[in-house]
Formats: sequence, C-alpha cells, structure tokens
Amino acid sequence: MGSDDGPPALSAAEALSAYTVMVQARAVDDRLWQLSRQGRAHFVITSAGHEATQVGMALAIRAGHDYVVPYYRDMALVLALGQTPRDLLLHAMGRAADPASGGRQMYGHFSSRARRIVSGSSSVGSHLVHAVGLAFALRIGGERDTAVVTSFGEGATAEGAWHEALTIAGIQRLPVVFVCESNQYAISMPHHAEVPVADVALKAAGYGMPGEVVDGNDLRAVALAMRRAMARARADGGPTLLECKTYRLRPHSNADDDRRYRAAAEVDAWRARDPIGRFGEVLVREYGVAPAVLAQIAGQARAEVDQATLDADAAPAPHPATIADHVFGTVAGAAPRSEDQRHA
Amino acid sequence: MPVITVREALRQALHELMQDERVFIIGEDIGHYGSTYGVTAGFLEQYGAERIRDAPIAEAGIVGLAIGAALVGMRPIAEIMSVNFSLLAFDQLINHAAKIYSMFGGQMHVPMVLRTTNGWTQLSATHSQSFDVMFAHVPGLKVVAPATPYDMKGLLRASVADPDPVIFIEHTLMYTVKGEVPDEPYEVPIGRSALVREGRHATVVTYSRMVHLSLQAAEVLSREGIEVEIVDLRTLRPLDMSLAIESFKRTGRGVVVTEDWQSFGTSAEIAARLYEYGFDYLDAPITRVNFREVPMPYSKNLELKTVITVDRIANAIRDALK
Ligand SMILES: Cc1ncc(C[n+]2csc(CCOP(=O)(O)OP(=O)(O)O)c2C)c(N)n1
Ligand SMILES: [Mg+2]
Repeated sequence: MGSDDGPPALSAAEALSAYTVMVQARAVDDRLWQLSRQGRAHFVITSAGHEATQVGMALAIRAGHDYVVPYYRDMALVLALGQTPRDLLLHAMGRAADPASGGRQMYGHFSSRARRIVSGSSSVGSHLVHAVGLAFALRIGGERDTAVVTSFGEGATAEGAWHEALTIAGIQRLPVVFVCESNQYAISMPHHAEVPVADVALKAAGYGMPGEVVDGNDLRAVALAMRRAMARARADGGPTLLECKTYRLRPHSNADDDRRYRAAAEVDAWRARDPIGRFGEVLVREYGVAPAVLAQIAGQARAEVDQATLDADAAPAPHPATIADHVFGTVAGAAPRSEDQRHA
Repeated sequence: MPVITVREALRQALHELMQDERVFIIGEDIGHYGSTYGVTAGFLEQYGAERIRDAPIAEAGIVGLAIGAALVGMRPIAEIMSVNFSLLAFDQLINHAAKIYSMFGGQMHVPMVLRTTNGWTQLSATHSQSFDVMFAHVPGLKVVAPATPYDMKGLLRASVADPDPVIFIEHTLMYTVKGEVPDEPYEVPIGRSALVREGRHATVVTYSRMVHLSLQAAEVLSREGIEVEIVDLRTLRPLDMSLAIESFKRTGRGVVVTEDWQSFGTSAEIAARLYEYGFDYLDAPITRVNFREVPMPYSKNLELKTVITVDRIANAIRDALK
C-alpha cells in the first residue's frame, strides 16, 4: 500500500510541496559542498539520498506541535518543518543570525524552539533519551495529542543510550516514534559490522514495540508508515521503531573520502534509485504534473539557494562581546560573587 | 637520525608492538579506513581482522572489551577517535580499569592502553574538549600526553608495556609535527618530564601541543631579551614536577600553559605544586594560559578568541615578569 506502484496516498498539493522541499534540500546540499570546497563552510555533512525518508517523516509531523529530535543528517527534515535555505546557510557559515545556535555549534545541529526542533550534541545516539523525556513530560503535562519523533543512523543503535531510550519508552509506553535512517554505513563501517541482525527493525521486539522496515527512498511509503506510527503514539498506543532503508549519495562529511570504503558501482546503483528522480516520475505518471513544472521547481530552488548564499555571506559573524553569552542563564537578583569575572 | 611526523612515529611504535602476539587494536573505523587520522592505515591488510578489530559505535563496549582481554593477559590498544566520545566509556575507565588492581587485591591487573585525541578546528562544543584533568584526577589511571614524534613512539611503547591502564592522549593538530626518531625500538619512561628549552627569566610548564606554541613564544621573547625555560611534563600521572620546581627555584617566575579550561584544570594542579614546593622562591604570582571558559564556538572569530595563541602565551610570560 502506498508504494510507488500503489494508489496515491498523498493529495496533489502535498505531493508537489513535498517534492519541492526534496529538491530544495538537494540544492542546499550541493551548495554546502561547494562552499566547503571553497573554504567558506568549514564543516558540512550531507543529507543527499535521505530526502524521501526525511520529507516523508515530515508529512506525518505537525510542525510546531509535535516535537522533533533530529540528528545531523536531517537537513531535508528541518526544511520540511519550515526552516529556510537561508537559515541553513547561516548555520553552516557560523553567522550571528544562525537560528540554531548563533554560530556556536557546527553544521548539522539543528534547532528551533518555535518549530519544536530540539538540538542534540555530537555523541551519536545520545539524543534519543531526550525524546523519551519530552514524551514523558508531554504525557504528564496532558498534551495528549502531541507525539515525539527522533531519528538516528543504524550505527547509533550500538550505543548504550540508544538501548536505554528504547527500554524506557517501551516500558512506559511513551508516544515516541524512533526513525532509523538506515543508510548501510556508519562512516566507513558497513551494516554487518555495526548491527548484528539484518534489520534494525528486528530490535523492536526486545523493547516491546512494533518495528517496521520501510523503503526509505519511497516518499509515500515513509509517509504512510510514519502516519500509522504517529497515530499510534497519539492514541496512547506506545512507541514504534521504523527503519527506513536508504543510502547517502555523498561522503559522510567533507572530512571523509567514501571511495575508501564504497565501490563506485554500488554508489552508481543507488544514484539510479535517487529518491528525488523517483518521486518526480511519480508526479508525472500519477499526478499528471508536467515535466516543465518539475524543471521550474528545480530552477526556483537554485535561485533561492543563490539568494540565501548571498544573504548568509553578507551576514555578520557573532560579535566578540557575545562570546560568553548563553553559557549560564541569569537569575534575577543573584549576580555571581567572584573576584574574577573571567569565569563567571 | 630520520625525521618523521608524529603520525609516522605512532605507526612505527604500533608496528613494533604488533610483533607481540598479545597486542591487538580495537576501535571505530580503524580497519580498512585506517582510522580517522590515518594512524592504522594498512594494518588490517598486514595483521588481519582478528588483531585489527573494527568496532561498532559502542565506546563503553570497546573499553570494556579491552579491560576483559587485558585481565587474561592480552595487551589491548583501544582507540577512541575523539576524547569527547571517551565520556561514554568513563564508567569503564574510572569504576573498572582504574580500580581492578586494587579491588582484586593485586591479583589481576589491567595492562590496556586507550589511545585518544584532543584537538579542535571549528568542530565546536562537543568535538573540541580536553578531559586530561578528569583522567589524571583518578588514582589508578596513568595519563600520558607527549609532544614530539620521539616521545610519541617511546611513550606509546612504554604505555603498552606498563602493567596499569594508560590513557595515551594525542592531538588532532599534531599529527604532522616532525622530529627525529630512531628506527630501532626504544622506550621513554612514563612519569619523566623533560627540559626542552633553557632560560633564566621565567619557567614555563606545559605539555602536549602547547610545548610547540610555548617554544614559539620563547623565540618571540628572546628577541626582547627575555629567556624562558620550558619544561614538558610528558606525563600527567604520575606527575614529575622535579625539573619544573628546580627551574622555578632558579627563575622565581612561573607560567603554566595548558589547553583546557582554567577552573579546576590541569594548570591548577601544576600551579599548586609550584606554590607548595617553590613558595620561598616566588618572585611574582604564577600566571596561567588556558582556553576561554566557554563551550568551544564554531564561528572562526570566536574560536580564535577561545583557544591559546603564541601571543597569549608571550603576554602571560611578560605579565609574570612584571
Ligand atoms: C559517541 C560517538 N562516537 C563516535 C562518533 C563519531 N561518529 C560521528 S557520525 C558516526 C557514524 C554514525 O553512523 P550512523 O549512526 O549509521 O549514521 P549515519 O552517519 O550513517 O547517518 C560516527 C562514528 C560520534 N559522533 N559520537
Ligand atoms: Mg548509517
């Protein structure tokens, strides 16, 4: 149901806007890698290839209502939730106006209070427990129709914190959807060297929650599986583990050389299954969208990213006087008493 | 003597150590990938997957496995690509590795080495930290942080030969630093500092990458007629302060340079020992140069304000001479 061969699961408007975000995400990704080669963005990490998984997830998330605890790969997801190419370029270039952290945190650590996107640190898998905590508080606080989505790679499932998060969510039946963006590598290490079973989804059984393998390059399949999982979470039916099988089409980050561990033929085979081209075909075939419209979307995305780059380039770096901002909160009437304010 | 990089020196030491059948290496991306900083490139092909073990992303598992194997006589070398992620293995290191010898009444010991890296370069808050002080705080852990290719090779060999768990701290910005290294095997003993520059006006006590920056600052000051003496501690635990205190007694002025936050940091312990053992010789307050106390910012301009520069070291030395 809802695969490329099934009946349309999304309205024409949803399908077209999802496609637009996927294309936009790829255009941002292209630009990030270009900026990194030019030395204008020090650290970049790719989402290319993961667009169907991430935008498919977003189709089941009510932006600004449900909480999302993403990982560094999730640029297309945060775009789909309403962040802009400009936001992302400000983030990658470490500008004062970077909405994630004001130029403090390296690219890929997305956050927005308004959009309920919660930033994590860089230790993989450690953010899942926060998703569990959010869900716990939401349930106590009575936000009963709010669910929490958190995502991670298959490599992260080896970490202790991953296990602890699923254990607690499973025991307490918390409204969390755990989404594994299963791209077959953790930097250089192939799936079989990170995960002892063929599917991460199999692990769900050990935590008392349903686990499902989804074709992560099929936007509609992801959207449908996500909608089921979110409905379950909202109805107090407990957590779900979804494994979206996909592939990243670029190296892990700009510090990586993927030719050292992936055969060109393998990468090419996955390029042929590029989720964007694949969904473009669906739009033409099933939704009767004219190919010229797709070309127009691509042109618009490039123009928007060009403008966003100019804006981010012109934006100021964080002011040195702000260097110690946001290390500690302020408490009214309780100024620190220290002979030495350097470390206050 | 051949001049090679820190990376080459570590590789030489590891190749020599692999001749001992009890030695194996385990870590993330260390096999085909040759590890994040290329130190184990070619090792998998040469020694096989049994002894060059790619691990899943499970730092507590990696260190725990090394502890278990060490208990039965192996000489594990565990690698955690960035010290920031060693935090996930702190229970294994502190509640286990550091205490087993004592808790087992000396019946079993843990001759493992954890190789890991400090360092920064626009990698921001959770990729740029240093936890030297947290390791060195714990009795039962030895902590080594060499500065030169010669010491890297000699101390890595000594660390693997040591009966206790050793945290061997490298630096991402030092792999291409060059220096003379003999081809043949040798050890540099753990717990011995070294005098790396002679001078009469002030004593700089430091270690790891800051040795190089301190040497550069010393050259700048030399042109102003100021001659500083520099002591490289090389090991943080056991801490050999003998050369530093001897020097301090001659100069009466001390500067401590460590690449970590100042509060409760390694420089606090070093300065305290200078005060304790050199109080009668003190001519001026000891000055310290450290990271600015903020999570490391990504933005280059803020990062450069947070880290230690040659200028900041030179200024601290001038202050100590006032
Ligand atoms: C605790 C911890 N260990 C190691 C790393 C280094 N690291 C960053 S990403 C990564 C691979 C993660 O792979 P996976 O979870 O499959 O996600 P993917 O990058 O493939 O999307 C590793 C090992 C880290 N960030 N945190
Ligand atoms: Mg992966």
